[in-house]
Amino acid sequence: MVTKLKEVDILIVGLGWTGGILAKELGETGLKVLALERGDMRTTASDFSLPNIRDELRYVHRQEMMQDATKDTITARNSQAQEALPIRRLGSFLPGEGVGGSGMHWSGGTWRWTDMEFKIRSNYEERYGKNFIPTDMTIQDWGITYAELEPYYDKFEKVAAVSGKAGNIQGQKKTGGNPFEAPRSGEYPLPPLKHILSSKLFGETSQKMGYNPFPRPSANASQAYTNPDGSKFGACQYCGYCQRFGCEANAKGSPHMTVIPIAMKKPNFELRTHAWVTKIIKDSSGKKVTGVLYTNVTTGEEYEQPAALVLMCAYAFNNVHLMLLSGIGEPYDPATGKGIIGKNYAYDTGVGGNLFFEGKNFNPFISAGGTNTVIDDFYGNWEFDRSKPNFVGGYIVSSGHNTALPIGYRPVPPGTPSWGKDWKAATAKYYQQAMSITTRSGVLPNRYNYLDLDTSYKNAFGQPLMRLTFDFKDNEHRMGMHGADIVNQMISAMNPNKSSKASGAKRNWGFTPYQSTHNTGGTIMGTTPGNSAVNKYQQSWDCHNLFLVGANVFPHNSAYQPTGLVGAMAYWTADAIKNKYLKNPGLL
Amino acid sequence: MKRIHQIATSIVFINLVVIVQAKAQDLVRGEKIFEACASCHSLIKEEQSTVGPSLFGIFGRKAGAQDDYRYSPAMKKSGITWNKQTLNNFLTDPQKLIPANRMPFDGIPNLKDRNDLTAFMQVKFK
Repeated sequence: MVTKLKEVDILIVGLGWTGGILAKELGETGLKVLALERGDMRTTASDFSLPNIRDELRYVHRQEMMQDATKDTITARNSQAQEALPIRRLGSFLPGEGVGGSGMHWSGGTWRWTDMEFKIRSNYEERYGKNFIPTDMTIQDWGITYAELEPYYDKFEKVAAVSGKAGNIQGQKKTGGNPFEAPRSGEYPLPPLKHILSSKLFGETSQKMGYNPFPRPSANASQAYTNPDGSKFGACQYCGYCQRFGCEANAKGSPHMTVIPIAMKKPNFELRTHAWVTKIIKDSSGKKVTGVLYTNVTTGEEYEQPAALVLMCAYAFNNVHLMLLSGIGEPYDPATGKGIIGKNYAYDTGVGGNLFFEGKNFNPFISAGGTNTVIDDFYGNWEFDRSKPNFVGGYIVSSGHNTALPIGYRPVPPGTPSWGKDWKAATAKYYQQAMSITTRSGVLPNRYNYLDLDTSYKNAFGQPLMRLTFDFKDNEHRMGMHGADIVNQMISAMNPNKSSKASGAKRNWGFTPYQSTHNTGGTIMGTTPGNSAVNKYQQSWDCHNLFLVGANVFPHNSAYQPTGLVGAMAYWTADAIKNKYLKNPGLL
Repeated sequence: MKRIHQIATSIVFINLVVIVQAKAQDLVRGEKIFEACASCHSLIKEEQSTVGPSLFGIFGRKAGAQDDYRYSPAMKKSGITWNKQTLNNFLTDPQKLIPANRMPFDGIPNLKDRNDLTAFMQVKFK
């Protein structure tokens, strides 16, 4: 039996970064805001205190903060010719679950995507001609501009305590920052983190080679800080437990210690945890949604929660999955290229090599999510000529330790046996002597990389799992070859005693090992209902009182990590709802 | 004589002002330094312990004695009573004075910083 509850004004599905930002901003209107979160409540005090949080077995290998793949997961395959199988142990990506979502276990990398992304098709056609873009590469302009988003990037960076060095303030180039970034209205809220030896050596080498190194901007507070909302941050302790862990020092910008507690203080805001949304309900016209169905996972009771406005703020995969399960919008069909929901799934990729230096002590355990030096000469640098390497996009190159987990961090030079006495001796010897150089490229969308509903496998509620069909294509291969060449030149320039070279060999995407939790697309943004699921406000073209917030709206992926843009667009959407939509509900 | 007295008074007055100003500056500095503590510790009576124990009423209290906070065994066994001096010692390098305590903070190496911080904390309770 489904119990029908009283209508709320604004319903938020999923309480991570985007849900938290919208809850905080829209809570200020005085309207009744309800957030449904399928996981547990989490706080720094009860979940992240020392020594328990620094438990690699519990959080990395047993994946305690992640989505429970025995209840709900996705099935995956490389191509339509294969049978997709359910991922029952997360590997390549790690969607979070619980209050704070993936914003609890991220590293903090916070970048600004620019008009280079938002006008990708126009830019490439203009510079390289229409034929340069492969026919199967379904890139499109987004319909949003950097100028529109700049104040919201600024806001998110201030809220999340981003440490970094500006390279371009209002058009003026600044030494030490990224010279290729778009103009910023001001400096980062906090200075960069301290250099560690590996990031310093990489910076020196890349500078000598004529590149432009700068510290990776990251939401790791380099010093104690109070954000504009009054949320208090401790200083980063360089403990090396950012990614996959919560921060015990409140130094990593996360929604549970910024926007969410502010929302929770409002009497008009309510949070229900363990509330698993199974469907978005449409009205008879199909042009509006009326609320959602959810199950209380602790009791099994089912509820209908009516709402005037529904904001989908779950992880990117889950937002797309709920659209498919609810029959909103036309599912994408790769055979015809028609339909939108599930289209343009993208990811990221990269290549890398390891360097081993006799006698050096890198102290890799003293590190943080942002203790890296990066060069953007092959991505943000639009002057970099892509015609010869023949790819769309590019890559950043970075180095610097972020963690040195006692179980998993075992760098050894090529030729080391993979087990036994000699392997043990090598892991002990090289723990202190190894560093790596890696690239990161955004995967460009392809007609045959997409999401749809699986035909065999179901989740704990008997609903079809979402199926991912994905592989790296030629464009990724060409970026990998070019990147491997550059990385190998840098390795040679650093002259280590031993090294493993970067390889640009063609490879398929696999479910393991971990690569990144940067899954994008599926309900993409665009200029018309014909080419997209949402408009530039992340508002559904089909149902105007439904917003799909998160990386699921990105029409393609980037060499930059996605959270800066996810956060900025959540603020942008919050403002559009507050200042436009609520005054005159309809398509913005 | 009268004139000398006047001069003496004004010297005293000037000195007093200087001392008071310096103190006020120290307290302002101390408050600023407390930012490094504020994301985990509260000084306000009405606020409970959160990530770290409440610091309200810390002077004269035994280490590890707040009821609403789960301390590390190391802190409970330390036998320390908090005063300006013990706080100053502890904050120099928290893991050195009480090894295996749970506070994720690497300390305040500068003596004046520590003095200003503890002065601020002390004034805050009066």
